[in-house]
Amino acid sequence: MPKALRYLAQAVLYAAFVAVIGYFSTSPRYEHLPPDEALIKLSFSHAGARKEACRERTAEELAKLAPNMRAQTVCPRERVPVTVEVALDDKPLFRVVAPPSGLAKDGASTVYRRVPVPAGMHRVGARLSDTPGGEFNRGGDATIELKPGHVLVIDFDAESGKFVFRS
Amino acid sequence: MLKLLQRAGQWVFLRVERVFNHAFGEEINPLYHLGQISFFLFWIVLGSGLYLYIFFKTGVEEAYASVEQLTLNQRYVGGVMRSLHRYASDGMVLSMLLHLGRHFIFDHYRSFRWFSWVSGVVLLWLVYISGINGYMLPWDGLAQFVTVGTAEWLDWLPIFNGTLIRNFIFEGAVNDRLFSLFSFMHIGLPLGVLVLLWIHTQRVPSAKTNPPRPIMAWLAASLVVLSLIKPAMSQGPANLAVAPSTLELDWFYLPIFPLFYRWSVGGVWLLVGGATLLFFALPWLPPKLRRHKDAFHLMIRPDNRIVAAREGETLLESALRDGIAFPFDCRNGGCGKCKCTVLYGSVDYGVHQSEMLTAEEKKEGKALACSATPLSDVELEYVPLAPLGGIEVKRHRAHIESLDRLTDDVMRVRMKLLGESELRYYAGQYINIVLPDGEKRSFSFATPPHERGPIELQIRHIPRGKFTTHVFTAMKVGDVVEFEGPLGSFFLREDSRKPMIFVAGATGFAPVKSMLEHAFHIAMKRKMVLYWGVRSLKDLYLPDLPKQWAAEHSNFTFIPVLSEPKPADHWTGRTGLVHEAILEDYPDLSGHQLYACGSTGMVEAAHPAFAAHGLQQDDCFSDAFRLAPHAPRQAERAELVSLGGGGGSGHA
Repeated sequence: MPKALRYLAQAVLYAAFVAVIGYFSTSPRYEHLPPDEALIKLSFSHAGARKEACRERTAEELAKLAPNMRAQTVCPRERVPVTVEVALDDKPLFRVVAPPSGLAKDGASTVYRRVPVPAGMHRVGARLSDTPGGEFNRGGDATIELKPGHVLVIDFDAESGKFVFRS
Repeated sequence: MLKLLQRAGQWVFLRVERVFNHAFGEEINPLYHLGQISFFLFWIVLGSGLYLYIFFKTGVEEAYASVEQLTLNQRYVGGVMRSLHRYASDGMVLSMLLHLGRHFIFDHYRSFRWFSWVSGVVLLWLVYISGINGYMLPWDGLAQFVTVGTAEWLDWLPIFNGTLIRNFIFEGAVNDRLFSLFSFMHIGLPLGVLVLLWIHTQRVPSAKTNPPRPIMAWLAASLVVLSLIKPAMSQGPANLAVAPSTLELDWFYLPIFPLFYRWSVGGVWLLVGGATLLFFALPWLPPKLRRHKDAFHLMIRPDNRIVAAREGETLLESALRDGIAFPFDCRNGGCGKCKCTVLYGSVDYGVHQSEMLTAEEKKEGKALACSATPLSDVELEYVPLAPLGGIEVKRHRAHIESLDRLTDDVMRVRMKLLGESELRYYAGQYINIVLPDGEKRSFSFATPPHERGPIELQIRHIPRGKFTTHVFTAMKVGDVVEFEGPLGSFFLREDSRKPMIFVAGATGFAPVKSMLEHAFHIAMKRKMVLYWGVRSLKDLYLPDLPKQWAAEHSNFTFIPVLSEPKPADHWTGRTGLVHEAILEDYPDLSGHQLYACGSTGMVEAAHPAFAAHGLQQDDCFSDAFRLAPHAPRQAERAELVSLGGGGGSGHA
């Protein structure tokens, strides 16, 4: 192959190499969220109540224990799972049962869910159960306009015991 | 199925490489330098990254602003550097994947290659982690997508369990310290890549880490042009209150991110984890029920070195691993630089470009060392590129000065150079006597290099041997002989402090004499012991010389070993095979250097036995000669004849 032709061929092949790099470094475009959708993200970390209430040890139980271990009150560490339900326009959107963390199941339950929803005005409700009985003892709702692409974050403030809706 | 896939892949690779050979020539075909190209692109990434780091500011607002300023306000420096940083990173992934794919297709990942394969897979993953981390830094829409996606992915693991994403859940949750962490990671991870790159190449003998200059120039220029035509841009500032809708995704680094939302995060973990395990396990799949085959030995000329070839190892890899300066370039059967002559034994020619090794050449005994693997013990010969120590191999003429019969079958021949005052060589090297019909016979120098007198050879009579019979029956003082040399890489290594064991079999004493006299001349203080193995007492043709050395030098010991002593010898010394005597005295050879010179049979028997007793490959030097002549193939190239000796009989 003549020298000039060889250089030309080399230029073409290197151009093809960088063209592949140039193209796939940005293309094809990826549609992460359709233009008419918004996102609802539920994220919180909250410890459920203890599975069993604290109780007093009997005299027989105390006698079986080593003298330095004889605490009168015993509190089982395990917590109940936290159950949360989210509704959109009064229709159930999803339900999550989050087990307590930790080997002894005595840590906080953590929840994260990400759900795309149609953009527009919505009534969003959330309720939570963190007691041994399983009844939904906490809840909240809000009517929010979700613009396309916007993210509504539903958090739970353990101190106030209320859901927080942030968009 | 796997074989079918590999055969199909080889078909494709060979054809594409042939097209590239037409355009680039074999020496600068980028497909033969994929690993080196990855290295080179890494240097571009590192260099451009250092420039970007100077201007990058670690803050929620500053990160985006500083990158924008760099991209727009100094477009032809900062902007190009940013683009180069991205495109070279992408190119690195592409070249690494091709490099990995090529080794898989050509089945170069099993057996001893597992280390390079596994470290390469770890390297690829680390490059991915570095790249993904890099995309977090500019804190634009893509950075937000990558950061949130990574947090969501990691949160699937029980150890995080939904806690990581809380750092990125609200606009305002992110603070400046996050960017210090990202920056720290983006320095540490590439340093890890650099260390791994170094580890990755450790078990590849004579690994080259830089591609040929034309490739570097073309690649750098192409990437600069791409950076100017299509500069890398940010995709709007990050805003955690808004999810990015459409993104210009880098598909080299981020192809798994869309899968988080199309499949499930757990599904992607399964894919990545499964692929990783599969890649790690590939060198052992499918598992072999039988144990490893016995390794073969290679006798490599003109170095006269015996090298153990590992299972699946090419002739070239074995030679390079043993420190032989075998010529090579592409290592892929595409350039023909490593073409050698198989003098004895059989090889699998491996996969190569057919025009680089034709059927006629195979019939003539040629093979491409980079793709051929031994199927038996093999004797091969290559054409050295550079003479040892810069001493040129030349033809010389000398006349016979004296002929002394040392025993019935050993003649001491002293030759004086004609028209030259001295011949430079290393103690232990040899010459080829050129016979009138062009045939050659190899003999080692018995004189040390510093001696300014005639050259001494010690020639053993081989029954029916053309030249040695001539020496014993017709040669006379004043005859003129032609020879070429100096040749071979069997010489005394002076750069070690280890004690040395010399093993001489019969006339293998000649090069050992040269080395020992040189060692005494330079007042070498290392411990030296000579085991001279012969059949019976009369074969110790210079018995007083080593005894005299032992008397004069306290660091030298002489141990003669007779394999078949005669009753008349009244021998009370060591008996048996010489290498067995050594192993008896030195059960652990790990702290020694060993020089062995004798018949091929002796050296081939001794080599694995010494290795089994801890002798390091780097500390074992051998020179073997064949007393029973075998039919050498006629070397096609003139220089091969002049350097190699055509499989020489009667060496030493």
